[in-house]
Amino acid sequence: MKITRKSILYAIGIIGVLILPILMNQAGNFYAVRVAGLVGIYCILGVGLNITIGYTGLLDLGYIAFYAIGAYTAALASIAGIPFWFGLPIVIIVGGLIRLGLGAPLLRLRGDYLAIVTLGFGEIVRLVLVNLEPITNGPKGLPRVEEKLLDISIFGFKFTENIHFYYLILAFLLIAILISYRMEHSRLGRALVAIREDELAATLTGVNVARVKAVAFTISGIIGAVAGAIYTHWNGFVSPEQFTFWESILIVAMLVIGGMGNIAGVILGVVLLVAVPEVLRASLGTAFVDYRMLLFGIIMIVAIIYRPEGILPSKRRALELKPIEAE
Amino acid sequence: MIRKLLLLLSILTLILAGCGQSGPQVVKVALVAPLTGDISAHGQGMKRAAQMAVDEANAANLFPQYQLQFAAFDDRGDPKEAVTVANQIISDPTIIGIVGHLNSGCSIPASQVYAKKNVLMITPASTNPKLTQQGLKNVFRLCTTDDVQGPFAANFVVDSLGFKKVAVIHDKTAYGLGLAELFRTQFVSRVYPVLSFVGIDVGEKDYKALITKIKSTGPEIIYFGGMHPECGLITKQAKELGLAIPVFSGDGVLTPEYITIGGPATEGDLSSMTGLPPEKLPAAQKFIDDYARLYPNDDMQPYDPYTYEAVKMILEAVRQVGTNRDSLITTVAGINFTGILGESSFDEIGDTRNKTITIYRVTNGKFVYVD
Amino acid sequence: MFFQQLINGITLGSIYALFALGYTMVYGILLMINFAHSEIFMVGAYIGFWALTFLPLSIQNVVPLHLSLVFVSSIVGAGLLAVLVERIAYRRLYGASRLTPLISAIGVSIFLQNIMQVGVSAQSQPYPYPQSSDIMHFDFFGIQVNSLQISIFLLAIGAMIALQLFVNRTKLGKAMRATAQNHTVSQLMGINVNLIITMTFLIGGALGGLAGVLNGMYYGSIKFNMGFFPGLKAFTAAVVGGIGNIKGAMIGGFLLGIIEAMSVGYISSAYKDVILFLVLIFVLIFRPTGIMGEAVTEKI
Repeated sequence: MKITRKSILYAIGIIGVLILPILMNQAGNFYAVRVAGLVGIYCILGVGLNITIGYTGLLDLGYIAFYAIGAYTAALASIAGIPFWFGLPIVIIVGGLIRLGLGAPLLRLRGDYLAIVTLGFGEIVRLVLVNLEPITNGPKGLPRVEEKLLDISIFGFKFTENIHFYYLILAFLLIAILISYRMEHSRLGRALVAIREDELAATLTGVNVARVKAVAFTISGIIGAVAGAIYTHWNGFVSPEQFTFWESILIVAMLVIGGMGNIAGVILGVVLLVAVPEVLRASLGTAFVDYRMLLFGIIMIVAIIYRPEGILPSKRRALELKPIEAE
Repeated sequence: MIRKLLLLLSILTLILAGCGQSGPQVVKVALVAPLTGDISAHGQGMKRAAQMAVDEANAANLFPQYQLQFAAFDDRGDPKEAVTVANQIISDPTIIGIVGHLNSGCSIPASQVYAKKNVLMITPASTNPKLTQQGLKNVFRLCTTDDVQGPFAANFVVDSLGFKKVAVIHDKTAYGLGLAELFRTQFVSRVYPVLSFVGIDVGEKDYKALITKIKSTGPEIIYFGGMHPECGLITKQAKELGLAIPVFSGDGVLTPEYITIGGPATEGDLSSMTGLPPEKLPAAQKFIDDYARLYPNDDMQPYDPYTYEAVKMILEAVRQVGTNRDSLITTVAGINFTGILGESSFDEIGDTRNKTITIYRVTNGKFVYVD
Repeated sequence: MFFQQLINGITLGSIYALFALGYTMVYGILLMINFAHSEIFMVGAYIGFWALTFLPLSIQNVVPLHLSLVFVSSIVGAGLLAVLVERIAYRRLYGASRLTPLISAIGVSIFLQNIMQVGVSAQSQPYPYPQSSDIMHFDFFGIQVNSLQISIFLLAIGAMIALQLFVNRTKLGKAMRATAQNHTVSQLMGINVNLIITMTFLIGGALGGLAGVLNGMYYGSIKFNMGFFPGLKAFTAAVVGGIGNIKGAMIGGFLLGIIEAMSVGYISSAYKDVILFLVLIFVLIFRPTGIMGEAVTEKI
């Protein structure tokens, strides 16, 4: 293999992702490790949502609902004494079934109507979590006073520190990327592109549109639920206030700013939108702490104006026929 | 690349923070609260109060051997951000004490992070009982939990006001719901059931439909668990719909902003607060005067006195034993502190023993204490 | 109690409907969800607040003049702000993916909220007008109605009729409808599409500003985050009514307001928004383009 500049850069990147966090941890910078872990969680969410938005072109504004469903299912399973690795299949089944159940009647809606329905569903899930006290403990969150979440453990090794979770998240992210990559470069992936390009033509060439859409939609939801399950264990506590509409919007923004349909772009978008507020937090200090979100808003506008197709646009999407104007 | 840049940046900030100063040892007291976002009014108030306490100590040159600094952090009332900030705080070895967070949903996961590094944490505002029941020895709470205020209010309604018909409203937050539930439990145990028990959404503006429904049940008083923006609108709209009964609420409502929002409709409304009224404590009156002088454009928020007191307590502990994290925690656990809230000390799990409650009534557009 | 709830719902619905017009007009022309509209509403309320507070006393003493200046300034101010936002944050993005202006709108929304919080106040501001002595209360057989509610309802209906007439009867309105159907062909017919887009934002923003002032007067206080909840509801109303359709926005707004009041009155206060969004989902399942929406034949 020829050693090019690009491959050297990749190698440095991979080593950085693997080694740097542990160095930071040794140096006592738990903050950097935490941010790296958060970037990882949002990368999983981004990769998952990218399957819905980037590959099939369906706009989902309530993706956070599945993150919440995963988080609460995992918490309830753990409280019931089920270890994480046995709870995970439950999370996958619950998340997948709800996503499928939501998708079945809704996937025939077009574009923006699907967007507003998913938005509504996201709000419904949050409100149910707040109001369904006997199960979710309402706004007071899980676990309750007398309850405890079980630690995640592999062969007796317990995940307790940020750095442990960082590597766990990294492993799950790799799996998510692998699934996403396989989907894009398979029969299913090509079918998805065909649907996004022209649904009618895809049907005529023998693509089972309804099924292909439902499969992609469901897998996307499951990935979100799994991210929620890991996050709950990392935080040790889950309450409804973190699953707001803005959170869904933020993930969509990550995809668009990074570059939809392209995994590298998605990851870049996540790094930007999760890391920028943290860099601002670290650099602004006490005197300017109030201006953090203000700057964040400006950065978002500037980023999108200067790179409307995203920072790393998908090559495949760029080649697609574009309508001259919005219909 | 970007991630590396970020890491590089954070290393740089740490290095700068770590070795920027020479001379006396830097000691920081941190405030964590929602400084941006929907409930930033409370967080900003807490920041002002904490800043005031630190400035006073510096002006009095209380610690000539240290360079005492104040650091404010923003959690936006979001548990995810709270944990991130907590990690940022434990990465800074010069921070010796934390005052915060506001929301219980933030305090609980963040307290677990602080516990790992044995950092002293005093919350001036989180009232969820679970916080101190986690068995973390670094966690203290200066405000009372909901289980003191709610029952006190219920007894007051029965004994002093003599009302038997109560409608209870809460804002579906850990604080509001907790308070309302404990009010209801006590009220019911005094023989009377409540007429209704309903939740509302924070941030909404129109409660007329709910009030119309409540009015049809004929209550004598409304008990509200939650914060002032919603309570102000409820009392205003109740009077507009001809339901001229007082609204009784907890410490989350006791701020002039409540009267601003509710207008003349608030006249006769009641609110409970921990501690003695400032009129009976000279120290508190001085705090109120100083606050008004330093921040003429801002109203005092309900948790500002607690925040001020919490910072003072941490500084007192530093004065006694220096900056060792373990000794600071032991010192605060055994502290007997007299300040603007009266006498405060902590029980074995870290809750305050200062459980005096004062009832206030809106009279001529001001909160005035009743007994 | 039923009629009281109906009154509550109609007042709420009037504000949703006015608010929803801004969403629906922009969507009709650009197929874009303008998330910043809820912040235009908020800024409109603040402009009204400033006009109420800072105009010279000689004007404040003449109540009708003062009030009309308050309305004019916030309507014009909010309209111009909406145009400015379009120029800076959206105009360069129309060629790109449909999601792109949406993200820019979110950035604008975050920016406007935070600039008001940092630059003005994080606290609620009391609305100086009307004081309770300025409001007339009527009691019809136990049903409470006040002059403010009636004015809000009449203003909302008036604004909508005027808008409907403008769009259907004037040349500019015709150009607007043409642009909504097809930008390129409209351009070929000599319509200045950019001007039409500017007009759309101006009118939508102005109505948002009007809704903001009315909201401030009705509820008596304003805050930097006041746009979020009504914005979400108004947008839902626009979709339920059939987005892009002016009559639809009106019907959707009133429908949502009434459903909200009735769910609180007869079902559950805690679950009222769940009911609202369930209605939305069911309407869209059975009428995928909303109540007034026309079935669009797919272009191939």
